[in-house]
Amino acid sequence: MGHDMHIRNRQAIDMQAIQWIERLSRPVIDSAAAADFDRWILKDPQHVESYARMSALWQSDGLAAALHDPATRPAASNDDEDACDAPRSRHHLMRRRTVQAVASLCVLLVACIAVPRLLVTDRIFATGHGEMRTVSLPDGSTVRMDGETRIAVRITPWSRHVALERGEAFFDVAHERMRNFTVDTGRAAVSVLGTAFDIERVDADTRVIQVYRGLVSVEAGTGREWRLPAGSGLELSGERVRSLKDVEGDRPDWTSGWYEANDTPVAQLVQRLNRTAPKAVALADPALGELLVTGRFQTGDARGVLDAVAAIHDLHWRETNGSYLLER
Amino acid sequence: MLSSTRGAPYDIAQQDFDWCAVQVAVQRYIRGRGARHDIADDIAQEVIARLVQLTREQQIASVFALAFRIADNLLMDMHRRESRLSAEIDDDWRSDEPSLDRVLDSRRAIDIFDRCLKRMPQLRREVLMRRRLHQESCRAIGEDLGISAKAVEKHITRGMIDLRRALDHAGIDLVGQD
Repeated sequence: MGHDMHIRNRQAIDMQAIQWIERLSRPVIDSAAAADFDRWILKDPQHVESYARMSALWQSDGLAAALHDPATRPAASNDDEDACDAPRSRHHLMRRRTVQAVASLCVLLVACIAVPRLLVTDRIFATGHGEMRTVSLPDGSTVRMDGETRIAVRITPWSRHVALERGEAFFDVAHERMRNFTVDTGRAAVSVLGTAFDIERVDADTRVIQVYRGLVSVEAGTGREWRLPAGSGLELSGERVRSLKDVEGDRPDWTSGWYEANDTPVAQLVQRLNRTAPKAVALADPALGELLVTGRFQTGDARGVLDAVAAIHDLHWRETNGSYLLER
Repeated sequence: MLSSTRGAPYDIAQQDFDWCAVQVAVQRYIRGRGARHDIADDIAQEVIARLVQLTREQQIASVFALAFRIADNLLMDMHRRESRLSAEIDDDWRSDEPSLDRVLDSRRAIDIFDRCLKRMPQLRREVLMRRRLHQESCRAIGEDLGISAKAVEKHITRGMIDLRRALDHAGIDLVGQD
């Protein structure tokens, strides 16, 4: 029957369209596939229409919201999210927020041209112990790297992607409407337009993100997403989330050799010191790492910092052959 | 220090596209995304202008993929401008990425998606969530869930067809009214 044929035909085209949407949303596709896509589009006007509709559906915030809905979500674990949104109707607010965060990520999903290798720059930058360095990327963004930091940068005509493999870096991102800028920290992915923000990989589990300008969206898997405006931040540690307020100034203190601790575990401070200290700072007892300190420390002066920490918690430190050892 | 992302100038003949065909396809694409005719015309024109510029500087493997992407961005910009005009936005969740699709983001559409997703096998839902929300690759999803990458693709295709059919049954057309 004509009608059935029509439906079946349309469905076959829709299926092809979805396959294209899926393929083109991969980070890189080869040029043969890209040429195939152009041929497919040109072959039949219905192909464009189907591709447009299925794209609209795929990218829609409505679909994202439904996929996010706890009722349809297979495994939900969002205990600590209220760290970021205070009173009000929480569920409602969270949902809207997530929807918008997803919308900004959609820009990534449509990335899709394939180009010869020379249009893609892949670079790795690393700093050694005690070394601080500022690198500028081909798109005009700058990254200030703390000691013992490593980043892998991939810039293509349609995307800007940085993997923060270790350490801490302050990103000042050139605003571009056409290309999203994403930083992947292994546990959390941060997506931005034109902003300045700082990310620290504290340990295997913990990430600290602080925003100095613009707007940043953070995605931490299992549907956990946040949108951070300038002046705010987030500390993600496994499943725990702590929101940070009072992110002040136009860049983090460490870029000028200072570290602002605010109920910060000693372990975190020690790690910071160890990016630059002439000898490694070690803890005689790991439990010391859990003590909290507040204050402004000059990270270039490990001895001075240790003096201060020792005074705060009534501890001692001594210099051994290979380290500064903090003990009770 | 850094190598440029620009390649050497390309052979012009090789980059000589049928811009008319591209323009028609872009118009159709934007219409298919629910925009009005006049908007589709304007955006298509702008897309072509930018594409011509880009092809002078770069080799482009898929003209249409890039054209549709530029169109998406322009459409997004337009909605952003429009939504600035509408006042009652709560500062706390103000977004610079406003909704592109009023129809597909409506409460009603979300309910339809919800119901359709609930009827799907859990595996399919999980695949869609991972691919769409978390942008995991088909291979990574397959490895995690113990199925092949091809099977992951099939779940995505099947799931999207189901979603589209659910919209059809509810009488929601993806194309907006003029």
